[in-house]
Amino acid sequence: MRGAPWICRPCLIRALRPLSRRHARFQSNAAANPESISPALLSRAHALAAEHSQLAQKLANGFDARAAKKLGEISAVANALKEWEKANESLTELRTLIRDPSTDDELRSLASDDVASSAEQLDQAAQALTTSLVPKHPFASLPCLIEIRPGAGGSEAAIFAGDLLRMYQAYCSRIGLRTALLKYENADGLPESDSPLSEAVLEIESEGAYGTFRCEAGVHRVQRVPATETKGRTHTSAASVLVLPSFPSEGSGEMEDFDNPESDYYIDPKEVRTDIMRARGAGGQHVNTTDSAVRLTHLPTNTVVSIQDSRSQPKNREKAWQLLRSRIAQARREKREEEMVAMRRSVVGVAKMGRGDKVRTYNWGQQRVTDHRSGLTVHDLTDVMGGGHTLEKVMESVRTWLIERDIEAVIAGDEINGDK
Amino acid sequence: MPRLTTGLLRHARSIDPLLTLLLRPCRDISSAQNELRWLREHAIKLEQNVNTRARVSGWRVLLRRLVAERARGKPLQYVMGSEYFGELEIACRPGVLIPRQETAASITCLADRLSRAKTLPSELRVLDLCTGTGCIPLLFQYQFWKTYQDEVSLHLLGVDVSSIAIQLANYNLRRLLKERQWQLQNRKMHGRSVQDLWGNKKLKSEVAAFQNTAFLLADVLVDPLSMTDHDPMPLKPAMQFTNKPPFWDVLISNPPYISPAAFNHTTARSVRAFEPKIALVPPSELDTPDVEQGDKFYPRLLTIADEVKVQLCLFEVADLNQAIRVARMVRDSSSWDGVEIWRDYPELANEHEEDRLHDGFEVIGQGNGRSVVCWRGRGAEWLSRANDVRSDRRRSSRIGA
Ligand SMILES: C[S@@+](CC[C@H](N)C(=O)[O-])C[C@H]1O[C@@H](n2cnc3c(N)ncnc32)[C@H](O)[C@@H]1O
Repeated sequence: MRGAPWICRPCLIRALRPLSRRHARFQSNAAANPESISPALLSRAHALAAEHSQLAQKLANGFDARAAKKLGEISAVANALKEWEKANESLTELRTLIRDPSTDDELRSLASDDVASSAEQLDQAAQALTTSLVPKHPFASLPCLIEIRPGAGGSEAAIFAGDLLRMYQAYCSRIGLRTALLKYENADGLPESDSPLSEAVLEIESEGAYGTFRCEAGVHRVQRVPATETKGRTHTSAASVLVLPSFPSEGSGEMEDFDNPESDYYIDPKEVRTDIMRARGAGGQHVNTTDSAVRLTHLPTNTVVSIQDSRSQPKNREKAWQLLRSRIAQARREKREEEMVAMRRSVVGVAKMGRGDKVRTYNWGQQRVTDHRSGLTVHDLTDVMGGGHTLEKVMESVRTWLIERDIEAVIAGDEINGDK
Repeated sequence: MPRLTTGLLRHARSIDPLLTLLLRPCRDISSAQNELRWLREHAIKLEQNVNTRARVSGWRVLLRRLVAERARGKPLQYVMGSEYFGELEIACRPGVLIPRQETAASITCLADRLSRAKTLPSELRVLDLCTGTGCIPLLFQYQFWKTYQDEVSLHLLGVDVSSIAIQLANYNLRRLLKERQWQLQNRKMHGRSVQDLWGNKKLKSEVAAFQNTAFLLADVLVDPLSMTDHDPMPLKPAMQFTNKPPFWDVLISNPPYISPAAFNHTTARSVRAFEPKIALVPPSELDTPDVEQGDKFYPRLLTIADEVKVQLCLFEVADLNQAIRVARMVRDSSSWDGVEIWRDYPELANEHEEDRLHDGFEVIGQGNGRSVVCWRGRGAEWLSRANDVRSDRRRSSRIGA
């Protein structure tokens, strides 16, 4: 509890200190201005706090598992609101005191001296309150799958797709994230690292990877002179990056919701057709085929995944299930999000993070990388492509941007609900 | 077999000249690409391996040599020296049959079922006749411990008439045992989570089961009474001689089952040219109809099943027709409570409902008819699964019911 009533002990001690020069600045700048947190967010917080005290009452009268769970979820908001209110109150009182002509000089200087730290406290409380209100992405704590495919631009796009894959691999190995290449297909079927890529699926097994890499989804554009270009012309091509939360495979026991038909990642095995590349003809001892490909088709959505990476058929099947589950869950979530976006139509700037949007440009000629969402431009292209610290900086800027969008969305959602 | 068009060949050459060579054995571009990728990974691994490095002159040279061998029709599994049997990598050598994916699918299904059984004997003994690389007992125990939670002592015995097969099976056993012991040691230093503990239990159970696994050189086909100085020994005296227990619980066998005519007409060329005929075709006899020659092992296997008192059997067969013939033998012997036929992928739902019954036998799964499964006594319990929707239907396939 860091809430500071305005006439606290440190203030009294400081009463003897000379008057602060910064007095004027803080008065105009960092007073308890209501804009430091949006009214919409604030009213949402109030509503939740009210619910919180109701639930607390209910629990006092007897145990109710659902109420207890809900209480746990919103107690962070209630606490943050309390802190914020305290800070807000103390700053307001300080300001009133300073403005009041009847305040004697000594007390006024004492109050002004305290404005700075109180304003800072309010700022922190506002930030904490905001974060407590923004819903954490439900899959943020999961590992993830990054799917990379070349877009427009022929073989140059395929080469760039390979560059992106290596960029993420280097990044992960630098910061110590475990990765596994689930699928790697070259335009020519060779694992040569510099040959063009037709599809790659990189799994980042570490927890929380989805939260880290969610910002990478979208179309990445490259502008450079391809190696094959004889006239030295710059080409523009693109690769698409899809980021999916990855659900642990069956039997690992981490997800108790695995068999829960309500959850996003539930798939009814009866709705999946399994095609195994069977030996032609008799099979068994008659042939010694090396075909280990497995293809799964989710019939209701006609989603098809096929994996032939490993010589082991069950391994291919496991990977295929993992990929299918992730794709279906993502599709379901996107659909829900689209419905939400439609609901919040009035809001500008809620960008969908999906397949379609051009999110970043890598320009070789100018050695720069610009992210179109956060607006950040960096110049150390080599470090970005090498998965270095500069890439981290770009990703961080997008994550911050995403949080801001989330806040807007929450506010917008509340405004819509408030209208009803 | 699809003909290789010049267009296809030209396309392959434009990608990689080595691919053109692989098209010959593979017939289509995507499996040729897969094989090229695996061979390349293999060549690179060989180059990096300290033990083989001295003999290797750069992976590119090695790769070309491997591709050339493959192009001559040598099975990829012999070229690379291994094949995946389920999730297990099993060493393969010329002279011993390459394990088949269909066999792995049946064994996986059988082990899964047993690992879900409510009650099992405290010591479960599994006999695999005609073991080859030893792949069946090795996969059985690996798969069994994936889901089995309780304590049970698994004992496995693989039998084969070929001494190279027995050598290779022992090599596979030693390699997997060492690998597991090493993993167990490495794990001890790390995590304490539930998954880790579960993983440790599985590894320990596997190590224990490997230590209770043996391979035995013996001939299962000869009748111990009619032959006296047969080499190798018939099964029964060989078991007695090596102090093996006289009674077993489960009998599995993938015996040679191809008739002489089918060998000439329906086997792939690379099978005929590179795999041992003794593993595929039962020894020929004059004046015996072709079909009967292909079925030769099954009556003998059923006799052994009675002698060692197993309660559950799984026999691999060539197709649905042979499956029905073997199921009839089971029925006629009248010492079994039930029999059913599994297709290649028994855990997949049947494609058509009307496909479930053939000649009065229940047939489950998708693909070709692949195994005959029969049971008696407690064998029925071991086979059934939790909330098995088929349990009442299975009763209907019981003999005499
Ligand atoms: C079709 S292979 C099966 C190998 C292995 N179980 C598998 O599934 O890959 C048949 C095996 O039976 C062995 N075999 C042939 N005749 C035999 C006999 N009379 N007694 C025991 N084993 C025999 C062969 O050596 C061969 O390894």
